[in-house]
Amino acid sequence: MFKVTFASLLIETLQSLFQQGVRVKEVVKYLDHLAFKSLNIIVVCVSFAAAVTILEASFHMKLVLHDDSLVPGFASMLIVRELAVVVMSLLLAAKIGAGIAAEVGQMKISEQIDALKLLGINPFNYLVLPRLVACLIAGVLLSLIANAVCLLTAALVTTWSLDQSMAFFMTAFRRFVLMKDLGFSLIKGALFCGIIPLVSCYYGMTCEPGAGGVGRATTKSVVSSSICIIVLDFILTLVFSSFY
Amino acid sequence: MVGLKGEIMDVGKDAPIIELKSTSLGFDGHEVLKDFDLKLFEGDSLVLVGPSGSGKSTLLKLMAGLLKPQSGAVLYRGHDLSTLSKKLREEHLAEVGMLFQQNALFDSMTVFENLRFVIEEVEGIQQALDRKDDILETLEAVGLDHVLDHFPSEISGGMQKRLGIARALVLKPRLVFYDDPTAGLDPITSRKIVSMILELQKKWGATIVTVTNDMMRAYQLAGRCMVCFPGEFLKTGSAEDTKAFADPRVQQFIRGDVNGPLEAL
Repeated sequence: MFKVTFASLLIETLQSLFQQGVRVKEVVKYLDHLAFKSLNIIVVCVSFAAAVTILEASFHMKLVLHDDSLVPGFASMLIVRELAVVVMSLLLAAKIGAGIAAEVGQMKISEQIDALKLLGINPFNYLVLPRLVACLIAGVLLSLIANAVCLLTAALVTTWSLDQSMAFFMTAFRRFVLMKDLGFSLIKGALFCGIIPLVSCYYGMTCEPGAGGVGRATTKSVVSSSICIIVLDFILTLVFSSFY
Repeated sequence: MVGLKGEIMDVGKDAPIIELKSTSLGFDGHEVLKDFDLKLFEGDSLVLVGPSGSGKSTLLKLMAGLLKPQSGAVLYRGHDLSTLSKKLREEHLAEVGMLFQQNALFDSMTVFENLRFVIEEVEGIQQALDRKDDILETLEAVGLDHVLDHFPSEISGGMQKRLGIARALVLKPRLVFYDDPTAGLDPITSRKIVSMILELQKKWGATIVTVTNDMMRAYQLAGRCMVCFPGEFLKTGSAEDTKAFADPRVQQFIRGDVNGPLEAL
C-alpha cells in the first residue's frame, strides 16, 4: 500500500500542480477561510508584540546607554526583518495548522479521502495544493498587514511612552529600514506560511484512527510547523544577510 | 500467519467484470491475502461476511482499485487496474460506485451538493448542471428529496447511509461496492436499507459486492456468499448453501456462539 511520507506529499503536490493545475475556487475559499479570518488575532497579537518591543528596548537602552533615541530605528528594523512576520506565522501555525490537520485527519478516518480517489480526484491536488497556494498568497498579504500594524503600534507607543514625535519615528524608520528588508520579510512570510499546510496535511493524511489520533495529529502539526518556521527563519536570515 | 488461498468463483457467464489473479496483500507484516483468485460477473451479487478484522473491507477496497496488491493483479473487464490508461481509468471510475463503511460524506457540502460534486468531478461542470434531474431522481429513490439543503451532520444515521448509497449510485454504475451498509442502524432501518439496495439493483441492474457482519441481511442480499476469517476466505455459495455449510467456524459464526473453533476476535 502507498504510504504518505512528507517527501512524497511534496512531490505529489508539485506534480499535480503541473499535471492538473490549481483549483482556483478552492484557493479563494481557503484564502478567506484560512487566512483572512485570522486577521483579527494577528492584528491584536503583533500590536502587543510591537508595543513590548519598544518598551523593552527603551528600558535596556536607557539602562546601558542612558539614551533611548535609537529605539525607533532599531525597533523598526527588528519589526520588519523579524518580529512581524515570525509572530504572524507562528500564530497562523497554531490557528490554521491545527484546523487543517484536524480536518484532513477526520477526512482520512471517515474515508472521505478514499471517496475522493474513487472519483478520480488526486487528494494532493484537491486537499494540499489549494491550501498551499492560499497560504503562500496569504503569507505575503498578511506579512504586509502585520508589518504595517506593528510599525503603526510602535510609532504610537514611541510617541506615548518615549516622548518622541511621530516625525522622529518616521525619520528613524527611513534611515534604518531598507526596501529589501521589506522584500525579504514578504518572502519569509510566504515561505513560513507555505510550510503550515504542507506539515499539517502530512499529519492529517497520516492520522491514526480515533479522537486520540486526530488530537495527536493536530499537536504534532502545530509543534512541527512552529519548529520548521523557526529553523527556516534562521536559515533565511543567514542567506539574506549575505545581501547586505 | 497461515497463507490465504482463495478459490475461483466462476459463475460461467461472459468475461468477468472483476477478476483477482493470484493477488497478495498485507500490512505491517500481517498477511491479509495470499495468491487469492476471484471472478465476479455482470449482475452478480456477492456478499462478504465474517468477523471484524478478517479482511473483508480490504478485499472490497482492492476490488474497487483503492488498494494495490503487492503481487498479482486486479483486472477490471480484462484490464489491469494498476496500469489503466487515462481514458480507461475514467471509464472505470464512471462505472464504479461505493458506499463506505463510515459513509465518507463530504460534510462541508449539502445533500444535493454531495451528489452534484460526483458528477462535476467525473463528467464535468456542464454535465452536473444538465443532470440536475438525475440527481433529484436518485435522491427521490432513496427518500431524501425533502432534505436537499441539509448538511450530512443535520440528518439521521439512516439518512446518512441512504445519502451514501445515493452518492454511490448517482452515476448509475455497473459495479457497486457496499461496505457494511447496515452498520450502526436499527433492525428496521437495516432491513429497509437492504431492501432498497436490492430494489435499486433490480432497477439499474448493477453488479454488487456487499460486506456485512449481519447474517440476516447477508441472506437477504446474497446471490453468493463468501465467509471471511483471518487467514482464510471460504466460498460458501448461496444463502441456503451457506446455512448448510459444513465448516464448524461458519456454523459458529452463523449461530453467533461464543464457544467454538473461532476465538473471540
